[in-house]
Amino acid sequence: MVPLAIARQTVREAMRRRVMWVFLICGVFLIALGPVFGFLSPRDSQTVLRSLGLAAILLAGLFITIVTCIYLIPTEIERRTIYTVLSKPVQRYEFVLGKFLGGFATVFINIAAMGVVFLVMIYFQEHKIPPEMFKGVLMTFFQMFLLAALTIFFSTFATPVVNFFLSFGIFLVGNLSSVTESLTTNHNPIVRFAGDTIHYLLPNFGNFNIQNSIIHPVTEIANENIFIRNNIVYALIYSAVLLTLAILIFDRREV
Amino acid sequence: MEKVNKRYPPDAVSRSRKLVPAVVVLLVLAIFFQVLIDPQAKEYHKGEAGLAETGTGLNNEFLILPLLGFREAAAGLLWVRADEFFHSGDYDAILPLVRLITWLDPHADNVYVTGAWHLDYNFTDTQERSDRRYIPPAQALLDEGIRNNQNIPDIKFEKGWQNYDKIKDYPEAEAAFKSAIAGPKGDGSGVRGTDDYPYAAPIKTWHMLAHTYEKEGRIPEALDEWQQALKHTAEILKASPQDYPDKMLYSAEKNNYKEMLQRYHDRYTTTGHDHNINPTAYPAVMMPPAGTKKVGPWDVAFQPKIEVTRPKVLKISGAFNSADGARIGVRISDWDYQARPLTGAINRFDVDQSQTILVDSIAVKKAHFEREMDMSQDPKMYSFSAPTYRIILYYDPRSTAPFLQDRFGWNGEGITNDNPDRVRVDQRDRMFGTKLIDGQGGTGPIWDGHTAPWGQFGQPPRLIMVTYKVTREQMLGLKPITDKDIIPNGPDIPLNE
Amino acid sequence: MATAISIQGLTKKYVDVWQKQEVVAVNNLNLEVQEGEIFGFLGRNGAGKTTTIKMLLGLIFPTAGDATILGKPMGDNNVKKELAYLPEETYFYDSMTGWDLLDFYARLFRIPEPERRRRVKLALEKVRLQPEAWKRSIRGYSKGMRQRTGIAQALINDPKLLFLDEPTSGLDPIAHAELRDIVASLRHEGKTVFLSSHQLADVELICTRVAIIHRGKLLKTGTLKELLAGEHTEIVVRGESLTNGTVGKLKAVARILEGEGTDTLRLSSDDTEKVAAVIDMVRGAKGHILAVTPHKRTLEDVFVETVRKEDGV
Repeated sequence: MVPLAIARQTVREAMRRRVMWVFLICGVFLIALGPVFGFLSPRDSQTVLRSLGLAAILLAGLFITIVTCIYLIPTEIERRTIYTVLSKPVQRYEFVLGKFLGGFATVFINIAAMGVVFLVMIYFQEHKIPPEMFKGVLMTFFQMFLLAALTIFFSTFATPVVNFFLSFGIFLVGNLSSVTESLTTNHNPIVRFAGDTIHYLLPNFGNFNIQNSIIHPVTEIANENIFIRNNIVYALIYSAVLLTLAILIFDRREV
Repeated sequence: MEKVNKRYPPDAVSRSRKLVPAVVVLLVLAIFFQVLIDPQAKEYHKGEAGLAETGTGLNNEFLILPLLGFREAAAGLLWVRADEFFHSGDYDAILPLVRLITWLDPHADNVYVTGAWHLDYNFTDTQERSDRRYIPPAQALLDEGIRNNQNIPDIKFEKGWQNYDKIKDYPEAEAAFKSAIAGPKGDGSGVRGTDDYPYAAPIKTWHMLAHTYEKEGRIPEALDEWQQALKHTAEILKASPQDYPDKMLYSAEKNNYKEMLQRYHDRYTTTGHDHNINPTAYPAVMMPPAGTKKVGPWDVAFQPKIEVTRPKVLKISGAFNSADGARIGVRISDWDYQARPLTGAINRFDVDQSQTILVDSIAVKKAHFEREMDMSQDPKMYSFSAPTYRIILYYDPRSTAPFLQDRFGWNGEGITNDNPDRVRVDQRDRMFGTKLIDGQGGTGPIWDGHTAPWGQFGQPPRLIMVTYKVTREQMLGLKPITDKDIIPNGPDIPLNE
Repeated sequence: MATAISIQGLTKKYVDVWQKQEVVAVNNLNLEVQEGEIFGFLGRNGAGKTTTIKMLLGLIFPTAGDATILGKPMGDNNVKKELAYLPEETYFYDSMTGWDLLDFYARLFRIPEPERRRRVKLALEKVRLQPEAWKRSIRGYSKGMRQRTGIAQALINDPKLLFLDEPTSGLDPIAHAELRDIVASLRHEGKTVFLSSHQLADVELICTRVAIIHRGKLLKTGTLKELLAGEHTEIVVRGESLTNGTVGKLKAVARILEGEGTDTLRLSSDDTEKVAAVIDMVRGAKGHILAVTPHKRTLEDVFVETVRKEDGV
């Protein structure tokens, strides 16, 4: 109940941040722009709307996740509100979990809002809402879940600016999973070691990008449901790793 | 300086004793799932090129999207840009874009299709002749698209279509259409949720396969495909009996089927137009033409002549004794012209400008054909940098018009030439058509017009063909091209490159 | 009376890794605070007051020493149910209303409805925040209203022990007086207050015991009375008759500072009753009272004197 109370309060604060609204409006604008590009290329209007829409959701979701989560804990410390919270019978892990849940709930609300706009656009264009659209948005949710955990983890010890570059950088590297995977079989032992380290230890964001099979419905992932399930389980486990580390660090953090 | 140790609260210390092992266990679990995911992800990303390759061709505004994992969005925007180049006619600029897009998004089926079509058809000389050097990369692009998209019939269909229509390599077209029909699993079952489900390919694929079989002279299979198409369309009509396009389709299929049966009857049965029994091996096509009594293959008396009127301008003319509408194929190339090996580079669609190849045809009118092939205006297409050239002039009964086939047969059974060296029988396995009622000698059963008495293969196409071997000097008009330059037709018939 | 806070040798050193400097924020602090006391914790800015409180609450961690709070080790999560903390200059979540803020803090104590509503209302009433402001966002609050809200959040769990860090600084005189009275009233409810302040007048008015901390070191601790020791009244009397016999009696009641053997005496006493007795005796002996001068010491005198002495000024 305590983490939920903190999460609830976190959402209220986060939803008031102007920068979040800027990204949300940009995202919605990009989604709404999809059909315009579609008119330029009528043969591919469906592909363009779908890919641009999903990209806009991901891009706006990415920035909303990072700018929301990097400030959650540092702001509390800067404004000393954390003193009033931690001096109450609130365990530090409850505080970290509450902040994470609140941060992700904010991201969830934003992605859901953009998702609704996107689905409405799809409906106008295709006169139906193909079920695979939901799969894409679901994967985006869990990708952002993992990213939120990563950002919260860094925010237990890094300043917001450092955190921004760390989270963004790891997101980029983690998106190159197909590249890092190929490094794990490199002939050079040093490259292979680096590849193994990056590929298996850093969070793997690239596997959540299944836009292809959504944009091109004929493209199938073999055992797609198992693939999606494994990735969701991966996101949950890896987020647990990050949050546990965050708790360990925050337990020793002087505020 | 003494070390300053902080004294943490007891519950934080006891918590870390539990959490540190938990982190290790969870991390091992995460790696376990990573290992589970990897093979599937690898399969999924098959065909995508690395950023090292795509990055070289992308400017910053486009690079950011694939960096973030939005490869398809970048591809989509690039394709919008390519569309602008189509409108402005900037055809060369489209090629690297096609390469980039298919690297970024190896499932962009219409980019493979449109890209290959663009390569095959849009690069021409001043006389609107296609640049055949673009055909190998176009085929390679389609093959890559097929490899990356086993589920998508469109690319396979396009490969079939381009081989049928442009390259006239019918066995290749047949294989492509067949693989589209077979679908990703090879058993004809389609992917649920796609337009063609339960079939793997659209109905037009059966139509094109039937046409292809006909061009191969494989008539029973062609008829079989028409029947398949009729069956599928009937099923579709069952679901929506009032659908007008489907009804029209059904009737067109029926007409095509009937027409082919009729053609079979007219060309190959022992019953002539006058319902008399014809005793020859190839009854209809051996019928004496109007006003003559001579029975047997028709002598077209092919007599070509090549004059070099100006450097790189060849006036090709001659006699070909057939009805109007026959076309004499012309193929002028480097003696050892070969498809350029492909590279993985971004400019892989660029052609080797030192290569020269021209493919065209000349219509026969009043048993005569004549046309000037001007290759002097397009030095980029016709550089003439090789020392020797191969000129092939030929008549192919398989790609000819139906009314000519009525006389010469699907395989040219009813055609011959006074100079037998100019009759080239293509004995390659892939070229054999249906062995019709060969060997019945007119003594076989009278065909009833319904049951198929065939089933054997072995009828090769008979081409009328002349090959010249000429030097660069001759091409430049420094020395005439005469019948002395005619050499025996080689075992290889490089007409479909 | 039970011990509310017991601090033994509490030390906090900071090490600046870059400059290789060691800063001692709190140095071997020993302190006892009894239940029911309003304990004044005095010190200049940066003396280590806030650092001490934060260590006691488990917000930061000592480098040496120990402390128990209400019988439990410091930082213990369960004991926090009985504690309250008002940090100095807190911004709070200023998009929330006063009511919502208190409701949020009440949730952290796992107080269920409808008890939560009752507690929130009670706390807001106790700090005399105007009810029309309850549902307005804190952003529009004046400094005094914010500080009232801050004390209200400290009262939400009906704590046994409150840590108040400069609760009255920066307020206008009226608000200042009101808040001071609210803090003073907590004593009547049997609460223990650990009041960190440099508002010496307030401390003198409401605290029972005081500790003075300077540069992390505890300089002085004791009841107000003990610290203000030395307060006395000087009486100057004259009369010939005093020399014969009365001096002896006077000596028993007050200290003779000078003039012994003359007819003018200067006496001193720190007891008002004894001063009255002296006056009665002098008058009874037909002597004259020339002057009665009370010499009063303030906490400020004590504080300045103590700090200056430590600094060697």
